[in-house]
Amino acid sequence: MDNEICADNRFTGKARSKERLRLLLFLCAVPLLLIFSLMLGPSGIGLPDTQTGAGNAIIYLRLGRLLMGMITGAALAASGVVFQALLRNPLAEPYVLGVSGGAGLGATLCILAGSGLLSTLGLPVIAFAAAVLTLMLVYGIASQGSGGHPSVYSLILSGVIVSSICSSIIMFLVSTASVEGLHNVIWWMLGSLQPVSGDQQLLSALFVALSLFGIWMLSPRLNALSLGRETAHYQGVNADAVIISGLLLATLLAATAVSLSGMIGFVGLIVPHVMRALFGPDHRRLVPLASIGGGTFLVVCDAVARTLLAPVEIPVGVITALAGGPFFLVILQRRMKQAWIA
Amino acid sequence: MENDALTFTNVSSGYKHRKVLDNVSFTVKEGEFVSLIGPNGCGKSTLLKTASSLLKPLSGKVELFGRDVMHIKPQVRASLLGVVPQKIETPMAFTVSEIVMNGRISLSGRWGAFSGRDHDVVERCMIYTDVSSLRDRYFTELSGGEQQRVALAMVLAQEPRMIMLDESISHLDINHRQEVLQILMNLNREKQMTIVLVSHDLTLSAGISDRFLLMESGSLVKAGTPAEVLEPELLSRVYHCDLHVQQDPYTGFIQVSGALDTLRRRKRLGKQVHVIAGGGSGIELYRRLLIDGFEVSTGVLNRLDSDAEAARALSIPAVLEQPFSPVGHEAFESALRMIDACDCLLVSQVPFGSGNLINLKLAETALEKGKAVYLSAGIEERDYTAGKAANALFLSLLGKGAKPWGNIHDLMAMLHAGTEQSV
Repeated sequence: MDNEICADNRFTGKARSKERLRLLLFLCAVPLLLIFSLMLGPSGIGLPDTQTGAGNAIIYLRLGRLLMGMITGAALAASGVVFQALLRNPLAEPYVLGVSGGAGLGATLCILAGSGLLSTLGLPVIAFAAAVLTLMLVYGIASQGSGGHPSVYSLILSGVIVSSICSSIIMFLVSTASVEGLHNVIWWMLGSLQPVSGDQQLLSALFVALSLFGIWMLSPRLNALSLGRETAHYQGVNADAVIISGLLLATLLAATAVSLSGMIGFVGLIVPHVMRALFGPDHRRLVPLASIGGGTFLVVCDAVARTLLAPVEIPVGVITALAGGPFFLVILQRRMKQAWIA
Repeated sequence: MENDALTFTNVSSGYKHRKVLDNVSFTVKEGEFVSLIGPNGCGKSTLLKTASSLLKPLSGKVELFGRDVMHIKPQVRASLLGVVPQKIETPMAFTVSEIVMNGRISLSGRWGAFSGRDHDVVERCMIYTDVSSLRDRYFTELSGGEQQRVALAMVLAQEPRMIMLDESISHLDINHRQEVLQILMNLNREKQMTIVLVSHDLTLSAGISDRFLLMESGSLVKAGTPAEVLEPELLSRVYHCDLHVQQDPYTGFIQVSGALDTLRRRKRLGKQVHVIAGGGSGIELYRRLLIDGFEVSTGVLNRLDSDAEAARALSIPAVLEQPFSPVGHEAFESALRMIDACDCLLVSQVPFGSGNLINLKLAETALEKGKAVYLSAGIEERDYTAGKAANALFLSLLGKGAKPWGNIHDLMAMLHAGTEQSV
């Protein structure tokens, strides 16, 4: 692929070979980490014996969670990449524009409303619809008086406000929920990679795959937009179209992740930063690498979460921040300059 | 060469609540090198944004190579027109070569992949603008001048037929400024690339441009050859300062200068000017008079009037009356003493009503004592007295030798001429 040439062109000589080595290490580490996560579980460490029925069931269960983790992590990380690029702000992530909050509110309503078809296939669709509505609301508020081109600051500000309104409503709903509904909602809010129904997994995987492809197609234009709307316009980029389709795709990703696994923080904010620090900000590489990195990171965290205090399962969101935080801080502290200079 | 590259037909443009360009019409021919000049805030950047369809014209039509710019596809537009903005910024750590690569976005294939030719063009543009040694540096860490050259390389990588530069060379050191101008001239001559340069260096632009477009507060004042546009009187009026234009009779080299003359005037002239003002009409007069070295006094003004506040801020002696009150006897007497001390008297574009009409009596007194009096023209529209008393008084003053003034530039010229005569 021609993209290879661009990767080569980032640096010459020593710097380039160092970067190649880093990429090679990363691509080797991913399958190893995935296999490692298959070996962890409350039933014991090591690959279960696939000859027995029980072993088969266990490996099947672990593969299911691996799939859930890959989909959710990739969606969250890629969504964060897009939000950070479009808003040109290092604090941007799926939560900051209220998108996750909106999706969470939609999903909470869905869970509390009851079971049946609605909560299987309906959940991702309703979460997405709620997220898009939130995005439109945030965009609409931020656009007031700006001539249709909201500034980054007004977007972030109105996003944070709408987001906290959403979480207030979720809190209210939770406080009035029945005991049975309460358990479901709380467990979901903490974030968990418990496999959902096959239909929902398939639908979510489809959503995520299509969105990732769409974002990857946008990635050269995301590069241009990181120079600002005006410069991107001069480069022949239809800036408004890219911003709106980018926001929609990132919203679809965030909503899918939320409807699959609940509110898992940290991945959407930190994984893009670390990938940018390691491999540079060129979105043609950053989008696929952050997706792989985010997925793998979440899979490993989940494996740790279900093993550490077995048979009690720790919410995966706890592990992402507790274990991932210090690890990523070290990387960022050493290589921050390679990611953001602001 | 004869095709039109950029045509503005009666274009008005601007932002939501603020019209910046007002009915601008001009044509830039393909292959021309045009300098766009004018004071800060006159609408040069808005013109660039309108030409590149970043701003939609409120009325009128912008054509790029014969096509309505609002209807050209973005990718096609990028191949016609490249714009080097005043400054480009990115918060992310892109390297220089990654930045320049952005110039090829509109030309890349369906899958966003860049071909070998794309890389060749980027390489050539980086060599051209002397940034290839910076290729692995982070763009954000470069100096302002280096960033400008990278921005130029990025725009050149678009391979556009026309380039507009928005004050892009003002950040460059003298060596790179010459180099960049040389690059632009080469592109212009060898590749027939049309170039529009927003410039503040009139002398430099005069040497390289085919034509000048001179703008003043949103309008195109004059278009023509450098010699036609660089008239001292026109420039002095537009830029609100004295400018001198010298043309070498043998080489045709045009030089615009102004700084020295202004500096010489900084010394005190020892001349006292009394200003009759009010309602903010005096602020600009105070400023210009002080800059040009006159001693200034003013009054009678009402307290809290914006001119009274300005006089206080500028330490100008002023006679003050109570807020919103007619000028009383006491204030008038002290103003008369100020008139005795002054060399000449100015009446600003202040409206007259029954409360301040008496100020014109001060002008009459000054005239009777043989002092020069300058009255702002157009009193008819500012006369709110019963029976048009101010208008009548103006006419009688003009009959007794007071001089009318229209704009501040002419006024300052008259004042300086007056002082030199009396010296």
